[in-house]
This record gives sequence, C-alpha cells and structure tokens, in this order.
Amino acid sequence: MKPHVYNKKREDRHQRCRESIQNGPPLVMLRLAATLVYLALAVLGGPALLVGEESAAFDALGAEYERDVRPLLKRFCLECHSTEHKEGELDLEQFASFPIVRLNPQAWQLVDQMLGSGEMPPEDGEQLSTEHRKQLLGWVRGYLNAEAHAHAGDPGLVVLRRLNNAEYTYTIRDLTGVALDPTREFPADSSAGEGFTNTGDALVMSPGLLKKYLDAGTQIARHAVLVPGGFRFSPHVQRRARTDEILAEIREFYHRFVESEDLGLGASVGYITGHTDTRLGNAGLLPLQKYFAATLARRDALTAGDKTIEEVAGEYGLNSKYLGTLWSTLSGSEASLLLDGLRARWRSATLQDAAALAADVATWQRGLWTFSPVGLIGRRGSSSGWLEPIDPLATHQELRFKFPALEQGEEEKDVVVSLVVTDAGDGNEHDYVVWQQPRLVRDGQADILLRDVRNVESESESTAAAEWGLDPAMFGKHPGGKPIDAASLCVRAPSVITIRLPAHLATDRELLTTAVLEQETGREGSVQVDVVAGAPASESGLFSSEVTVTYSTVTQVFSEDRSVSIARPILVGENSAARAALQSAMDEHRSLFPAAACYTQIVPVDVLHTTTPFYREDHHLTRLMLDDAQKSQLDRLWKELHYVSHSALMRVVMLEDLLRTMSGDNPEKVSHYKAIEPLQAPIGQQAAAFRKLLVDTHPRHVDALVEFSNRAYRRPLTELEASELRELYRQLREQELPHDEAFRLTLAQIFVATPFLFRLENAPEGTGPAAVSDWELASRLSYFLWSSLPGEELRAAADRGRLNRVRSQGSTAVNGEESVASGHRFNEAELLRHTRRMLADSRVRRLATEFTCQWLDIHAFDQNDEKSETRYPEFSQLRGEMYEESIRFFEDMFRNDGSILDLLDADHLFVNELLARHYGIDGVSGPQWQRVAGAGQLGRGGVLGMAAILAKLSGASRTSPILRGNWVSETLLGERLPKPPANVPQLPESVPAGLTARQLIEQHSSVPECAKCHARIDPYGFALEQYDGIGRLRETKSDTRTTLVDGKAIEGIEGLRRYLLSDRRHDIVRQFCRKLLGYSLGRAVQLSDEPLLMEIEQRLAESGYRFGVAVETIVLSEQFQMIRGKSFHP
Amino acid sequence: MRYRNSRRTFLRGLGVTMALPWMESLSVWGDQIAQPAGQAPRRLAVLFAGNGFHPTEWWAKGEGNGMELGRVLAPLTDFREKMLFIRGLYNAEALKGNIHSSQTGNLLSGAPLAAGGQIRSGTSFDQLVAQRYGRSTKVPSLVLGCDKSIPGIHKNYSLLYSSHISWSSPNCPTPLELYPALAFDRLFKDEPGRGHKSVLDAVLTAGKRFRQNISSTDQRKLDEYLNSVREVEQRIEDAGQQGELQGWRPTLDKPNVPRPADGIPQDIAEHMRLMCDILVLAFQTDTSRVCTLKFNNDISYLRFPHLDIDIGHHDLSHRGDDDWLKVNQFFAEQVSYIARKLEAIQEGEQTALDNSTLLFCSSMLTGGHDATQLPVVLVGGGGGRLQGGRVLDYLDKPNRKMCSLFLSLLDKYDIHLKEFGDSTERLSEV
Repeated sequence: MKPHVYNKKREDRHQRCRESIQNGPPLVMLRLAATLVYLALAVLGGPALLVGEESAAFDALGAEYERDVRPLLKRFCLECHSTEHKEGELDLEQFASFPIVRLNPQAWQLVDQMLGSGEMPPEDGEQLSTEHRKQLLGWVRGYLNAEAHAHAGDPGLVVLRRLNNAEYTYTIRDLTGVALDPTREFPADSSAGEGFTNTGDALVMSPGLLKKYLDAGTQIARHAVLVPGGFRFSPHVQRRARTDEILAEIREFYHRFVESEDLGLGASVGYITGHTDTRLGNAGLLPLQKYFAATLARRDALTAGDKTIEEVAGEYGLNSKYLGTLWSTLSGSEASLLLDGLRARWRSATLQDAAALAADVATWQRGLWTFSPVGLIGRRGSSSGWLEPIDPLATHQELRFKFPALEQGEEEKDVVVSLVVTDAGDGNEHDYVVWQQPRLVRDGQADILLRDVRNVESESESTAAAEWGLDPAMFGKHPGGKPIDAASLCVRAPSVITIRLPAHLATDRELLTTAVLEQETGREGSVQVDVVAGAPASESGLFSSEVTVTYSTVTQVFSEDRSVSIARPILVGENSAARAALQSAMDEHRSLFPAAACYTQIVPVDVLHTTTPFYREDHHLTRLMLDDAQKSQLDRLWKELHYVSHSALMRVVMLEDLLRTMSGDNPEKVSHYKAIEPLQAPIGQQAAAFRKLLVDTHPRHVDALVEFSNRAYRRPLTELEASELRELYRQLREQELPHDEAFRLTLAQIFVATPFLFRLENAPEGTGPAAVSDWELASRLSYFLWSSLPGEELRAAADRGRLNRVRSQGSTAVNGEESVASGHRFNEAELLRHTRRMLADSRVRRLATEFTCQWLDIHAFDQNDEKSETRYPEFSQLRGEMYEESIRFFEDMFRNDGSILDLLDADHLFVNELLARHYGIDGVSGPQWQRVAGAGQLGRGGVLGMAAILAKLSGASRTSPILRGNWVSETLLGERLPKPPANVPQLPESVPAGLTARQLIEQHSSVPECAKCHARIDPYGFALEQYDGIGRLRETKSDTRTTLVDGKAIEGIEGLRRYLLSDRRHDIVRQFCRKLLGYSLGRAVQLSDEPLLMEIEQRLAESGYRFGVAVETIVLSEQFQMIRGKSFHP
Repeated sequence: MRYRNSRRTFLRGLGVTMALPWMESLSVWGDQIAQPAGQAPRRLAVLFAGNGFHPTEWWAKGEGNGMELGRVLAPLTDFREKMLFIRGLYNAEALKGNIHSSQTGNLLSGAPLAAGGQIRSGTSFDQLVAQRYGRSTKVPSLVLGCDKSIPGIHKNYSLLYSSHISWSSPNCPTPLELYPALAFDRLFKDEPGRGHKSVLDAVLTAGKRFRQNISSTDQRKLDEYLNSVREVEQRIEDAGQQGELQGWRPTLDKPNVPRPADGIPQDIAEHMRLMCDILVLAFQTDTSRVCTLKFNNDISYLRFPHLDIDIGHHDLSHRGDDDWLKVNQFFAEQVSYIARKLEAIQEGEQTALDNSTLLFCSSMLTGGHDATQLPVVLVGGGGGRLQGGRVLDYLDKPNRKMCSLFLSLLDKYDIHLKEFGDSTERLSEV
C-alpha cells in the first residue's frame, strides 16, 4: 500500500486535467511552486501565469485560442497543415477547440519550433506580420508553459531498462571484484531517449542476444571459486591458477610482516651439512634492524611517554604488537642471561647501531635454532617441523686442536695454544672444569700426555725445554686441593692456560682433550671452553655458539641419521639448576627472536618426491604479530588453499606415485618404503575427511548463492525466489550433475535472471504516480552515478528505509502531511549525503565515460578506426590517450564539483607525455597523467580544444568544418536544424588544387538551398580550422575569422568560446541540463520537465555552476524519485 | 505433422502476436507448406549498402545477355541473365523523417519510424520469411554486419535505425553479428546442454511473475525477453533433431572451411569476404535459409585503404567521384562473389543460386540523401519463381512502392499477405 498525501494530490490533479478536457474548466487550485512560476516567467516570457487558479489560466488561454489564434492558424497554416494534407505530418485543423489542443501538446512544441526558427511559414507562403507573429508565438509559448506546469514532475514513460553493455560489465565487475569483460563481443548498444544507451526503448532483446547472455553468465560462473565458507571470484578458471592465486595471497599476507629471504642450500647457511642439495626454502625473517632502528630513534619519546608504541609503529610501518614486545624487553630491567648483553648495548646504542644489534641477535639465532627439510615430514625418522629449537648445552665437550702444518721451507718454530674457560656470564661460583688428559695425538704413534711434555723435552738438549708444556705440578689436583686424575687439569673459570710446544711435537699432531665440569664442586657450574691458538686475555661473559647438523647419508634426510655439533657449547651439569636457568634464558631469546617467523616458501622445494604439497609453519608470526582478526584471516586463507587446491586429494595421488616408485626389493627401496608407510594412514584419513568436508560445505555454497543474489538483484530476495534458486540447484543435482557444475549453472542463472538483467520497478496501481521503493531508488541513484549496482553504504540505507520519499513504516504517513514532510526532509538529507559521497568516488569515472562521452559523441573513441593510416600514422597510438584525456577531464569535474562552464573555458587540461607532445606542450614526461594549468594560452582548455573531439569531427584524412559546426550547433547548443533538401548536390568531383577545406565547403554552401543551414553551422567549424584532422595546431595560420548567422563576427577558438559562454550561455547550460536529465531518467526530456530544467539552471547560476548542484536537483526531483501508475494515460 | 501448432509456431509469429504471449496453441501461419520431395529449399539473402551509390553510374538497360550495366554493377555482368534491375521504387514512410537513419530503419518494413528518442519500426519482410521457415533449420535467420553500429541520435532519430534493417518485431531490431567467428559458431557450434534448459526454465518461471506489477509498455519489453528465453530453450530441446526436407539433403553437412579467427578482421575486404563465406555456408549446409548482411551502416565511416582511398565512406558518398565508384563496385563485387559461390553449388538440376533470391539495395539512391527512388537489384532464380535478365522501370508508374516488391517476394516464399507496410498491391512483373 502506498497511501500518500502527496501522491493523492497528484493523482487528483491528473484526474482533474482530464476532467477539464472533458467537462470544461475545473475550479481547483493549481499547485505550483512559486519559484517555478517566477522562473517560468523569467525564461519563457509567456503570458502572466501567477500563482492562481490553474483553471483561470487555461480559461484565458482557451478564450484567446478561440478568439485570436484559430483565425491566425486558418489564415497562415491550415492550407498545408490540414487534416487532408497533413504536410510535414502536422495536422492543425484537428484542433477545433482548446480541449482538443490540450490532448496533443507535442504538436504545439513543433509549432513553437518552426515558428521560432523562422522556418514557417514557408518563404513562398503568406508571411505573418510582426504583430501576428508575436501574438501567435506568444500564445503557443504561454500555452506550453501552462501545460508544462500543469504536469510538472510527471515521472514520464520510462521503458523497462535492461542493463546495457557498460552497466552489465560494471555490475559484474563490482559484484565479482574481478575485471571481467563479458560483453566484449556483444552487439554494440543503441541509443534512444536523449541519445544514451541506458534508455529502455533501445535496449532490445532477441534469442541471439539472450544466448549471448547465457554464454556470458556461464563464463562468469566459471570464475567462481568455491571456498569452505561460500564462494568468491577469481580472474582464473583453472584450479592450478586459482591455487597459485591463493598462494600469492598468503605470501602477500606474510610479506606484510616479514621479509622473505631464500635460505638457499642448508650447507651454505651453516645449518645443514652432508646434504649439499637440500634447499631450505624461503623464510619470512623478522626485519629486526628496522625494529631496532625504530626503538633507537624514538627511544626518548617512548621513554618519556610522548609517543605511544602504536604511533611509532605507524610512523615506521612496523607491527605494533611486536614493537611493543620488543620495546618492553629492551627497556625492561628483569635480568636475562642472553638478553642482558643486548640490552646493555642497546642502551648505549645510537641509530647507526641498529644493524649491529640485529647482527648480534642473528649470531645467537645460529646457536639456538636448526632448520630441517620439510618435504619428508611424516615419514619415519623425519623431523617434525622446519624450524626447531636446539640447546647449545653439553655436559662435556671433546676438543681437538690441529696444529697448522708448516709451510714449505718454513723454519721450525714454537707453537702457542691456550685452553680457555669462561664463566658463561652468570658468575663463577661453581665453575670448576676438568681438562681431561690433554694429550698430543698422531695416528700410529703413542699419545703424549701434555703433563709429560716438559719432562720428556727437558731430557733433550734444547735450552727452551723449560718453557715447553706445563709444569707437571699443575696436574692432578683441584684448585681446592683435592686430588683428581693425575694427567688432568682442574681450573676455575675464568681461566686461560697457555702452552708453548716445540714444532717437532706439534707438527702433524692434534691437541686432544675433553672438558667436563668437576663432578662435585662444578655440578652447578656453567662454562664455555675452547682451545685457541695464541694467548688470549682472560674474558668473562656468555659467548654465542653455532650449531651444525650433519646427516650421515646423502639420499634422505632423517633425524635419526643426524649428528649435531656445536661450536663453543655451554657446559652445564645434567639436571642442574644452572642448566634450567640457561634453558629458560635461551627460551626467552628464542621466544623474542625466532630465526624465522614463517615458511614463506609454502610449496616445499627441499626434496623431489614429497607428499606435502603445501607446508604451513607460521606460529611464530601468529604469536608475535597477529591480532585475532589477522589470525582468522590467515586461517581462512589456508583453509581456502587446501580447499581450492584439493590438497588432501593431491596427497593421495602423490603418495601412490611415491609408493609405486619405491616398490621393489633392493634394500634401499625397502627402507624407503618403510619410511613412507607411516604416511598412508594419515593421508587416507585426511582425504576421507576432506571429501566429507566437501559434501558438508555444499549447503553453504548454496546459501552463499542466495546471499549473493540479494546483491545481484539489488534488493532482498523474496522467500519464493530464494526457494526457487535452491530448487534449481536441486533439480540440476537430480540430473546427476556434480555439485560444482550444478552450482555454476545456478549461479549462471542469476546473471540471466530477470531481476538481474532488468531494472525492474513496480508500478503502482491506478493512474497516479508513486514514489519508488528504497531499493529501486538506490538502484536509480547508483546506475545514474556509477552505471552499476548500489554499494554497501547505499544498500544499508535502502535496507533501513532511509532513502525514498515516503517512509514505508505506516506511522509517519498516517500521522498526516506534516510528519510526511519532515520524513521527506530526513530522507532528502540522507539521499543527498549518499549522492555527494558517490560523486566523490572514483566510480564516477563511469558517469564521465557513459554520460559525457556519449553526449559529446566520443564514446569508445579509443577504438576509433576512422582515420587514414597514411595521412595520420600516429593516430592509432594517440586515440587511447585522447580518449583518456576527455574522460579524466570530466571525472575531475564531477568528483571535485567543478563548474560545468569549464566544459568550454577550463584553464586546465590533463595530459601525459604522448598527448603533451601532440599538443606541443613542453615539460611533461612519462606515461602518467598530469594536470597542466594555463590551457588557454596553449590553445586548449575545455571540449573545443580536445583532440578526441576535434578528431572525431573530422574526416578520415582532413578536417570537416561542417561536422564540427554541426556538432557545436546540435550537440552543444541543442539546436535543431531543418531537414536538408531532398537531394544534396555533390561536392565538386575534383578539388581544385590549393583549395582549403574551408574554401571547398564555402563553394558547396553557396548553393542557395544549402546556404540556409550551412550559414548556421559552418562558421562554428571555420573558427576551429586552426586544428587539423587529429586535433593538432596547424603550423601555419588558418583563416579562422567568421561571421555567425546572428551577425556576430568571431575569430578562432577563443572567439567561439567567448561567444558561446556569453551570448549563448543559456543554451549551453540548458543543453547540458537536458542531457544530464535525460541520462539520469533513461528517457527523452518532455514538456513537463521544463520547470525542473529551469530549476536546475537557476540553481546552477546561483551556485557558480557547480556540477553537483545539477545532480542534486535531479536526484531530489519527482521525476527521479517517482514512477507512473500502471494505468497512466496522458 | 510434428510442428503443427507447436510453441515454435507461435514463436515464429512473434512479430504479430507480441501482445499475446503465452498462448501456445495459437497457429499463426497455419500448417507448414509441404515442399515437393527432393527439391532444395528457397533461400533469401538481403545485402545492404549504406549511403546509396554513384550519382550517374547506377543503371541497367536491355534484356538477357544483351543487358548493359552502369559501372557500379559491372561486377555482376556474369549474372545478367539471373538479374532483375528494378528502378523507381520508394518507401513513403522513409521520406517523412529526416536523413540517413530515418531513411533506413524501415527499408525492409515500410513502417512508420518513431522519432524523438523512441524506437519503433515494423517487422521486416526478411524476418517474416525467417519466422515462416526458420523452424526447419538450426538458425532461423542470420543477421550479419561488417560495420559497428554507433550509438546516438541523429536528426531526432536513433542511429539504431541506421544500422538495423532487420526487425523481428516492431520494437525489436535483430542484433547484428559482427564477428565472423561468432557467426560461424551460431551456425555450427553445439547448443548448450540440458543443464542450461533448467536454467532457462527457472528464468522463465520467475520472469513471468514480474509481468504482474509493471505497466503494459514494460510488459511488452519483458515479453521480448521472455520469448527470447523460450526460443533458446526450445532450440536446446530441438538440438540434434532438426527436420530435413524429405528426399533432399544439403550438399554439405558440415563446414568445409575452418572457423574464422576471433575478433574483427582489420581489413574490411577480409571481413566482408568472411561474412559472405558464412552466408554461403549457411545456405549450403541448410543451417539457415534467411540471411541479411549489412556491408555497412547508413552513415558509415568505413575506410578502404586496400582500394587506395583515404576518405571515409560517408565523406565519399557526398563527393560522388571515381573513388566513390570504386567503393560501390567493391560492394557489388561482394554480391557477385556470393552469387558465384552459390552458382557453383549444384543442387540436383539447379544451382543454389537458382534456389535463392539475393536482394541488393540501399536506403537512398545517391549519397545526397535522395530516397525518392531506391536502388534495387535482385539476383538468383528464387527457386524457379524469379525471371532474370530484365529491367523493370516503375519510376513513372502509380504503384511503385518498395513494399509492393516485398509483397511479391513474400508470395514467392508462399507467404501471401493482403498488405505489408504501406502497400496492398504487388508488382505483377516481378
């Protein structure tokens, strides 16, 4: 039900109009807005029609018709325009009385036009006297004016609109988010109404075209990607490409947080040896240097509380969660064995030290982490992950020191080596270490205990013997005095024992010893030991160590075959408190600085035959950097990856392939086969679970389809529609189509369905107009401004019932006119808010393309193939740029609420290098577009100087002043030229040499029957003759002086521009408004639109001709917001 | 008979029954005329060139092989004995509007054209033939073009009229296929599968409901679409069971040339040649019997660099010089090419050309917008019903309507109408 005071009034009025025709003048008030009347008078200059009785006005007009007008018609017109002769399809004799006149105002519009332009009466007929002419024309205009106001706001006949090619394409793109081009090979759209392709009349349908829609819908549906929670669209149709797309998405996600680095071969980074071909893949590394730099640069501000972590993170483009954690660690004071040193250095560091701090962390990472290949995960003996912690702790350590060999001819000399023990940074209370039986060893010879070196050598003749080795008294006793093994040394850290050895003992020998904490006093000790050349100073503190993993075989990489060696481990006692403390300190470091945050490789590259198509390891990233929303986004992406790729099913195939290659009875194959066996059960289970998941998600896809159609249909689906959609899917499944195919066909149906393809609007019962619904209005607005469906915000507003003229909730309407009126204002404000928001949106480019370029005749100019390649070889390179300039110009005007007068005299233009060169503008380089000021001085600015327009209105190889002139007259000024004579004389067969295009045309136009029109159009074209056939400025001066039909002399583009903007401003503005209105309504402008056009013009004039004002006035008009009743009769 | 009173019969008559959509039992044309056994079907091709012809070189005189031709028609010299040159016909409605588009949109219908941004003509005579015979072939009619249509309004008439002469109903100009590959696909690609039938069924069921809440104008518009849906649905149903004429089989049952490349050929000569080939192929394989081929639009910017001419078609038409003549001849050569290919197809005693009628025409006589008489040439035997080698001059006769010619031609396709367009008479000499 649409009870509506306003509508009711309108309906009454229509009713009364008809009554007045049938029964004579009604005695009711004419509802006219005062402003409109005043405007009407100002512009039309018709007879006085002040606010008063409509009937009185028509009475007066009727009386005048009978008294004065009919006799004039009889005398001057009826001879030809009789019912019998109907010259020019016009029968004026039929208008025997004023009520009959009122049945056909269109005929009188024609009379107005013919009389106004002076075309009638014909030259050979009796001419009207000035007075008669004034009287007749005055009456006609007065009558039309009254008629226009009597029907003002009539929504008019808007024929049901199918989406045209552009709208269909934009709608599909907005719906799918994918740049598809489904109408590329559709027939070109035709125009109707005011000349636009969004007019119902021209949007025809045929079986051939329907088939194209069906094919297009089917194609679009192929782009749907089914995901666990529903579906979305992809530019791709192949599973492989879609998988890659999601992979890229996940990687892109990772890269928002980490820097990806190829770890290369395991050996090359020191993590793995024994497998030179094992690639560890791409790792997502924390960009620590940047984080350190930020903390250093903003240390003071953060400390003082002048800045928050979030602000700093924002400034530096860092993750605030991680930055916060790092900050609190660095600025904190809780003692931490591994971090204390870093913290101390950080405190005194400056910005330049960020790299060194990061390097310090990296050094430790090498000791705290190990990487394994992931392609084998799941096989017997394989590692359980990619990045795994490792503790550089040991209870003892065997140390070997190989003395360097002598160089050829090098003189023998003593060798100095030191046994070093440091305290691992936590004090030395328990740090007693035993160097067990240090000795010199050599294959095939008896070991020489270090203890015995001095004694043995002192028996020799050498004078230096007393310096060699160590004092034997040092051996065999604990610093506390207790005896130990006689050949061993016991020291307390820190300790450096330096030993000098003669060359003949060192050569080809190694110093071998095992360091171990002393059993009792050293149980809670923690030390690092080393054997180094030379005599270092004694040091204190914890030193980083490095871990190397070595595998024993080269064909497979299993953890059971690996050995771990640690350079400079930390010796601690088993189960000691010291060990626990160190472990926790290392955990702390690992927690803050994982060696990698995630495996950005995802697709394993480490082994050839894997059953792991995708490997996910990102718990460090998740833990350190992601908030809940990001976590679930990442989880969703991974789910989609597995879902879309069917990875669980891929694994089954991969496993089968692998088992096939491993079947056989040679021992190596048997062992490999056995290693793979454990995978069978989980892979089988996963596949089964995945199949179930697929089936379980089917209903969700269908639900999503229904959800999707709400958007596609631009309104909520009715329950019936939703159930029909489900029913179609069910039917297709019954035809034994698989889910995927049935889903896609059902989806394809949406793109062919009536409510998608057509902009259906429910017409109210009866004759009177009514407001369209919120949803219908939302579509009107979005198709007007964006050539596409409503966006999210507009949909929300429609859903809340915030847009249309009548609040659909009965209460306001029932409460009477006043609350309806306030409802109006409320909705108007909301509507305007959306209008302005949408005008500022980049999608307004479509309005620039569809409205302006169609109006100005340059639509699809980028595909223009009308130019001669020999005459203008550069054109094909330029046409796209020319088109882009025009679109950009209007997009800029629309989005920034520019003046519509810029159409003619903008002092700016948009160019890139190519177009700038074409225009002879210096200083613009590169393909990107720039706004250039001072266009007027460059001979450009506005449409008259645009290459696309100048070129479009030229021939294939030369200019055409006729085309250009005709365009100014018809397209810009909205003039209607009379029909050309029946047989236009041919242009001279051969153009006399040296004749310009202008001279040629002047010859042609001198034929009297042609001159009448050509005098009206050619001069405009002559004024633009300085521009050649593709819009370049000619190098030589052309004759651009000309005299217009109204006697005004002008010269060149500037003269034409001034003339149009001053003498013809009203016509230019009126034409713009007319075209915009026609485009917005999808129909031709009609007589009853005149008051609205005047209102738009008036508001434009008051507002500095801001484009937005024109749009707003249209959007708020009755024409835009209402629809004619189903039984409307004019 | 299998087809009697079928839904298909109704659909063929859309032009007439648009306002009465769901009456499936309505038989518009009555029973299908049985064609004598063993005889090849009659085909019809309309070949259109925009902007008229050379001011002085479009003429013919004499008879039979003594017929002399103006230079425009010189390429058709070999077919003089199968050619009927008709002078002086006109279309009264085409004189009422302005120039170009308003002279063209009703060329084949003779109907009044709606001006002022509305679209309305009349069902064109080629589509009447298509609606009558189309059910016998996979594709009822093929409407091809070599010139992109231009959106816009020209002199108060939509430019749609300039690019559409074939109308399946007064409100529905038949879209032109510009892409040779897609035209080829229409003829020879399989219809969509059964799943699509369910899809269209669903579209139809829901679509019908919307008729309730819209105005009668919109209902008409919606019916255009719903009927198209049914038509495509029907084709899917019929796929694979196309009726063949008893005792006659086409001389070719699948294309003997490869599918043309995607896209629109850069070279206009190649484009036209491909479209001509497809037309001939449609006739030879009996995939379609009615084809309308528009070489260009009325108001056309086609260029002809291969003829060494650097001026656009419309510009040329106003010059009427030797270059214009060359372009006219180039168009006539296409007609000749089609005729020659059809002549080479032997169908029993006759050739495919004998079984066809090619109507070559324009919507104005010369580039000067003169539509007071139209250039018309018929080539072919019309299935034994067309007598060539003659020149008919109606210029000074009272009955010289283009629609009278259409009535006569419709007779030859066993469609006997009392009136068509603005005429109730026939051209008895044709």
